[in-house]
Amino acid sequence: MNAYLAVAAVLFVCGVMCMATKRNGIGVLMGVELVLNGANINFVAFSKYGLLGLDGQIFSLFVIVLAAAEAAVALAIALNFYNNHLTIDVDQASELKN
Amino acid sequence: METFLFVLFALSACGGALAVVLTQNVVRMAFWLVISLGSVAGLFFSLDADFVGAVQLLIYVGGTVVLLIFGVMLTSKEPFTAIKQNPAEIVQGAVVGLAFLAMVLATVYAVDWQSHQAVVVGHEHDGLPSGYNRPIEGNTARSIGTALLGVRFDRDLGKGGEHASGEHGHAHRDHDVSTGYLLPFEVVSVHLLVVLVGAAYLARAKRRRPVSAA
Amino acid sequence: MSPEIYSEVGSLLKWLLTAAWLLPLLGFLVEIFGGYWADRKSKVPAYLAVGCIATGFLLSLIALGTWVDAADMNLWAFESAGHSAEHGEGAEHGDDHEHATVAEHDHADAHDEEHHEHASADEHHGNDPLKTAFSGTFYRLGKFGRLDVTLDWYIDGLTVAMFAMVTLIASCIHIFAIGYMSDELTEHYEDHFVHLPGGRHFHRPGRFYRFFAYLSLFCFSMLGLVLAGNIFQVFIFWELVGVCSYLLIGFYVERHSASTAANKAFIMNRVGDFGFLIGLMVIWTWFGVFQFANTDPAHADQAGLFQMVRTHDGTLVTEGEGMEKTVSLQHIEGEARPSSIPYWLLTVAGLGIFAGCIGKSAQFPLQTWLPDAMEGPTPVSALVHSATMVAAGVYLAARFYPMFTPEVLLVIAYVGCITLFIGATIALVVTDIKRVLAYSTISQLGYMMLALGVGGWIAGLFHLITHAFFKSLMFLCSGSVIHGCHHEQEMTKMGGLYKKMPITCWTMFVGVVAICGLAIPFVTLPAIGAVAFSGFHSKDAIIASALTFSSLNPVHSLLFYVPLITAGITAFYMFRMWFMTFFGKPKDHHVYDHAHESPTVMTAPLLILSFFAIFVAVGGEAGPLVTLYGAAEPAHVAMGATDAGNIGLNLPSHEQIHNFHAQAGMAALLVAFAGTLLAYLFYASGAVDPGTVKRQFESVHEFLVDKWRFDVLYDWMWQRPVHVVASWCTAFDKYVLDGLIHGSASSVVKIAQWDRKFDEAVVDRSVNVLGEVTMSVANWFRGLQTGQLRQYVMLIAVSVVSLFVLVFIFFPGQ
Repeated sequence: MNAYLAVAAVLFVCGVMCMATKRNGIGVLMGVELVLNGANINFVAFSKYGLLGLDGQIFSLFVIVLAAAEAAVALAIALNFYNNHLTIDVDQASELKN
Repeated sequence: METFLFVLFALSACGGALAVVLTQNVVRMAFWLVISLGSVAGLFFSLDADFVGAVQLLIYVGGTVVLLIFGVMLTSKEPFTAIKQNPAEIVQGAVVGLAFLAMVLATVYAVDWQSHQAVVVGHEHDGLPSGYNRPIEGNTARSIGTALLGVRFDRDLGKGGEHASGEHGHAHRDHDVSTGYLLPFEVVSVHLLVVLVGAAYLARAKRRRPVSAA
Repeated sequence: MSPEIYSEVGSLLKWLLTAAWLLPLLGFLVEIFGGYWADRKSKVPAYLAVGCIATGFLLSLIALGTWVDAADMNLWAFESAGHSAEHGEGAEHGDDHEHATVAEHDHADAHDEEHHEHASADEHHGNDPLKTAFSGTFYRLGKFGRLDVTLDWYIDGLTVAMFAMVTLIASCIHIFAIGYMSDELTEHYEDHFVHLPGGRHFHRPGRFYRFFAYLSLFCFSMLGLVLAGNIFQVFIFWELVGVCSYLLIGFYVERHSASTAANKAFIMNRVGDFGFLIGLMVIWTWFGVFQFANTDPAHADQAGLFQMVRTHDGTLVTEGEGMEKTVSLQHIEGEARPSSIPYWLLTVAGLGIFAGCIGKSAQFPLQTWLPDAMEGPTPVSALVHSATMVAAGVYLAARFYPMFTPEVLLVIAYVGCITLFIGATIALVVTDIKRVLAYSTISQLGYMMLALGVGGWIAGLFHLITHAFFKSLMFLCSGSVIHGCHHEQEMTKMGGLYKKMPITCWTMFVGVVAICGLAIPFVTLPAIGAVAFSGFHSKDAIIASALTFSSLNPVHSLLFYVPLITAGITAFYMFRMWFMTFFGKPKDHHVYDHAHESPTVMTAPLLILSFFAIFVAVGGEAGPLVTLYGAAEPAHVAMGATDAGNIGLNLPSHEQIHNFHAQAGMAALLVAFAGTLLAYLFYASGAVDPGTVKRQFESVHEFLVDKWRFDVLYDWMWQRPVHVVASWCTAFDKYVLDGLIHGSASSVVKIAQWDRKFDEAVVDRSVNVLGEVTMSVANWFRGLQTGQLRQYVMLIAVSVVSLFVLVFIFFPGQ
């Protein structure tokens, strides 16, 4: 079980780093997907080896659905951002400042 | 065999994720992401969660990643564009990432999951089966989930201990067995879908303006 | 008197007189408020005022009858016994005595030796005025410590006599005023004495109603003063009377002379009232009561002032000598108050009260306001400034007589003596008809005071009442003349008016004869006594008292000679006025041609008053009038006193006065005839030219015309010093007080500036520093909000790691 958790941790950390380092908006989204997948692995692992049972799987399903929806909305935002700025660089997206 | 498959999927998932982080090209990132997510689906299968694994393959690998690639194509001026980070950021990210990884791994290996099982999930007490807390103590996720599917364990279990397992065949036993929230759940699902479609449509509709302006 | 009769008669008298007293107040209220809203041309206010005061007169008459009946008195028994009233419950009263006894005395004096003995025998068993007096309390205003401030009533012979006199004269004057003030019955009254710039005269709405309202208020005040049962209440009405006087003198308020005169009268009275207040304070401190006397058998334990000071037979009980001398107080058993009062303090109290009387009765040295008070309308002069208000001072002096020590009496006598001489001499040269009468009033008031001072209590009040009648008569006559001559008051412009206004002329003659005290010598009618008008009897009594006094105290013989000579002067100036006005050749044809007799509404009061001026004193000192109020004479007066007080004064007794009566009467008559003859020679026959005499005594004449230079003297004595002191005060204010204030102001400004610096440097600075620090910290935090998404994520990661590390550092064991 610890092995699964370790894999999940690696995925999670990779996702976080992906979010933190990628300047490309799409890359950031990919990082988010990775983080969510790491969490899913944890849910499913606990569902099998722990007492979480089917709940874990149901939760991971929810997360997957949520991720899909989130990806769609985030992509819409990214597209809008691109339409307005002609770039996808998140470093430019600091308009809320000032 | 299982160990081999686990090692294979685990390595490919971790490697894919690392590759996503390290690769500068977006399209390649997407490819490595497919590898990683596919491996995660494999891990799900090896964890006996076949439905989740299937959904993972369908939605993530089949839906989300395709969506992301569409996004890449729609936002890139040329194929294989890469937006560079400066090296300092990479070093910084590496240091922080490693520290973070160390932290999480330390946590994972420091905790004795078996002995803390009861603590994590809940005690067995007061006539409730293991894993079921009294509503006041939280742990309402299961109740909510089953309720969404039309079964109310939290109510039916209190009735004289009959059929505490809550099998679906007894749902129509008596009129005092509560009905769940299946229909609302479905309605919400459809509604969510409509919202997604609407969001996608909005994103498309707004694309025209810069084009016309240009 | 038994308590039952006492309370029955007392309450009847009280209600009668209270009604008579309050009616004018009612009239005043209705007139002043109603008149303001109603038509100014209406005579209703006048009728109302007349109705009120006339009803008051009727009530007073009933009260008088009641009182006479209750006091067991036979007013018409004077033929047989001059002092029958003093028998108290004497057996000889009864209506069958009325006019029955034949006068067996054929002398010019109505009395013989035998009679005197009889009378004096009566006197010696004591005349306690408190036995025929009624007193009580209307209303208690408040009780302060042992001092009761109450509204009391005190009714004795003097009260009812004064009530009848005041209401009668006031009624006549009210009626007269309807005619006199009729030119105020207009919406546009043109005041010819107020000259506006541009040669125009002042126009204003008529103030007919206001005049009568003031008159009513005055009557109310005067009657309240007479009815008052304690000295404090007297003071209240005293001031009210002063206010009315002020309002009436200043009735033509637009005339500068009128308003100045009103102020002068008011301020002069304040000087006297200051003394009055001092007297009140002494009384309050040492006696603790203000009531004159408590004659109610039901409350016999509460003694009034008179009962405290005097024993039953009216003597002062003294202890010690000189400044240590004290007067023991009577009837104070079981009460926590001083048992005696220092003699000198009692004298001070008496002098203080008398100071009030000086102011009110225009005595020396406060006499100067009265002539100026003639600025008021003539009915006012008649009512307020000759007959009643100025007499209030004499009334109070008489009422308060038991409280006066012999020293005070001597002061009163001398003040009266000086006043009567000054007044008479100034009257010699004055040419304004009203001012002649005003100075005459001062002089006559001086006579009254003199009489009181020399122990002639009865004589003083006798003259008060007779004078009220003939002086109001003469004032109304002068008013009639002024009205007829269109507000011409200078006698030098009159003359020969007897053809034009005969009624006025001959009623005036009655008054003049009365005031001069002329009589037909050596003729005594049966049942009446001397054939003379009222003034003869009263002046006769005063001169007799003065003569007796000066013969008992030869040091003070001036107190006899001055009044005697002044009697002649009085005759001279009164006849001078009469001759100048009504006889001789008309001096100003304009005035003469327009002169006319006054309407009936004005002459009728003249006739009524002249009747009373003739007959009010009928019978002289044995007559009904004296019998009436003589019952109120303080117990100690009749006996006289020898070697009284600290100055060894001998006060005459009734008996002694009687002994000198014939002598004094002859002297006074002689002098009066001399004065009359002189006046005839000067102004009627033309035997002596007044102008020549005037030139001969140029300086004396000027001195008199300048009113003895009192105004100048007061100017030098008071006004100039006040101006000088005021300028000093101004300088002090300007340079010292203002300097102090400015200095303190500037120092405050200095301190404020320091404070400001402190505020800015310390308080504001600290607050600002706090704000700036917050600002800079916030700015630094603001720098964190880069909007850089990746930085945020990185920060989250770093934070989680560092939290983890921190947890492990601080909770290593878990």
